[in-house]
Amino acid sequence: MKSLKVAAFLALKSIVRGNVGVIVLTVFMLVLVTMNLLFVPGLINGATVSMNTILIRNYSGDIIIEPAGDDTVINHVDDLIAGIETIDGVVAASARNDINAYFEFEDERLGRVITGIDPNRDKQVFDIAGSLVEGSYLNSRDRDEVLLGIQIAGADQEDIELYSSSLRHVHAGDKLKVTYSSGLEKQYAVKGIFDTGFIQTDLQAFITDLEFESVMPNMNDKAGSIRVKLEDDADPNRVIERISGLRDDLDFQTWQQTAGLVQSMTESFTMINQILNVVNYLVAGITVFIVTYVDVINRRRQIGIQRAIGIKSQSITISYLMRALFYAIVGLIVGILVFKYVIIPVEARHPFEFPFGPAYLLTQPSYTARMASILLTVSLAAAFIPVWRVMRIKILDAIWG
Amino acid sequence: MLQVKNLSKIYGLGDVQVKALDDVSFTIADGDMICIMGKSGSGKSTLLRQLGLLDRPSEGAIILDDEDVTRLSDTARGILRLQHLGYVFQEYALLAELTAHENVYLPGMMLGEKGIDFRKRAKELLELVGLSKRIRHYPKELSGGEQQRVAIARALINNPRIIFADEPCANLDTISSKRVMETLVSLNKEMKVTVIFVSHDPEDKKYARGLLVLSDGKMVAEE
Repeated sequence: MKSLKVAAFLALKSIVRGNVGVIVLTVFMLVLVTMNLLFVPGLINGATVSMNTILIRNYSGDIIIEPAGDDTVINHVDDLIAGIETIDGVVAASARNDINAYFEFEDERLGRVITGIDPNRDKQVFDIAGSLVEGSYLNSRDRDEVLLGIQIAGADQEDIELYSSSLRHVHAGDKLKVTYSSGLEKQYAVKGIFDTGFIQTDLQAFITDLEFESVMPNMNDKAGSIRVKLEDDADPNRVIERISGLRDDLDFQTWQQTAGLVQSMTESFTMINQILNVVNYLVAGITVFIVTYVDVINRRRQIGIQRAIGIKSQSITISYLMRALFYAIVGLIVGILVFKYVIIPVEARHPFEFPFGPAYLLTQPSYTARMASILLTVSLAAAFIPVWRVMRIKILDAIWG
Repeated sequence: MLQVKNLSKIYGLGDVQVKALDDVSFTIADGDMICIMGKSGSGKSTLLRQLGLLDRPSEGAIILDDEDVTRLSDTARGILRLQHLGYVFQEYALLAELTAHENVYLPGMMLGEKGIDFRKRAKELLELVGLSKRIRHYPKELSGGEQQRVAIARALINNPRIIFADEPCANLDTISSKRVMETLVSLNKEMKVTVIFVSHDPEDKKYARGLLVLSDGKMVAEE
């Protein structure tokens, strides 16, 4: 207790009466390290959440229901959807049917999938209707009209990723020829063009289920898949269990199981983040080490005098550790405050744009707490080494060299 | 009582060994005031550092009240220095970031004896050495003589039984030297503290009641 009291006294005096420039510079370095430790994972976290959200809202839904075994379609879809929508946690469900087709416009021709949807239901599951860049969304009674993703239409936007393999010049209102895999040829007017920012979605084309039944007459009340949207706090596994209770001829996937590309990107981001974190912790440790090392070298004689007059080595060591803690704690507090009240709001106004959409900085309290404890530990260890070395020097050598 | 038996200190400089102290023996009674004299390099500061437990002798024993303190651990020696010994360095050796008052009470804070207000005692000691108006001053704001008197007050904070002073007036002018030496004499007389000081100035003999003279590490005279 006495050692701690003396250590606190020495630490306080050296901070209050020490070189202000050195203290400010050291704290500033640790503020930068803290902000860096928050920024990169915050960005990666934000980008991951943004990617996942866009994937769920524009491509997969929360749960994908498909026929089990060798079946290629789900029968009695209307009853099934009505049953699904009674389950707690389910917002809406939408049936989808896919068919391969070739699109032709002027000299361009490309093969893609056309999906038949009930526009009213699909709008409740997906946000595609909110991503229109031209024209309007489908109505339930629409026939001979198609909704195109920007990566199919091109729409003269040469900066899109797959422009060269798109129809290039298609705009809302244009007419194009569609040849289905059954051999059926049809003319469709482009009702609208959407750009969700998620390439897999923007490579899709939609027609109404009414139109789809005219192309595939045997598909009434059947679907290739059903997409389910859940409430934010709903447990997908529990909902799947409930749906399984309705029918036993269904297979289920959660959105995570369809997110192979997103997952591999997330894993790469996590790896990059870990490498950068190690570098940041090293920078923090080296900063504290250098500051403490220079300090104890400059104060070697003073340390020798303190030991000579009876101040315990452990008090002197603890006083240096307290100073390192002070630098780290102030650096952490200032860094976290600046990050939370300056960096995050500024970034929110000017978010980083990724191919899948904007990414907002997102930090989790658990990560911040873990980062803070690691930074404090690193600072303590970095301060301890030079002090421990000086404490091993004989008193007379410390005083007189 | 402080007994020194056959004390030797050998410094190794490569293959060459230098005997800074050579078989020195003497006894100092409690309350005595002893001056260690000798030419430069005679080993007087080396002897004082062994007695003050700042260094370890190569051979021999230092016995304090029938206890051999020569082979004690560093921690035990530190506690002994804190509780019973005071050391005044030639170059004042004050802590630059602390005021005169803080410099004096720091060892008291470390010892932390119950019932003793070390801050109050530090003020009293600064008054005793004539620095009551300088307690809030930092070492750089004090003259050499004042700094040395702060160092003496610091050496007294834990009521030591022995004060070791290593050429306490070496860097001081005549007036300051006289004041510092008179302070030590007064402490010896009034507080019954044993004072052992090193000096190369023959004039300082007059302050002591006993004299040890060293030459080439050997004790050549004892009065």
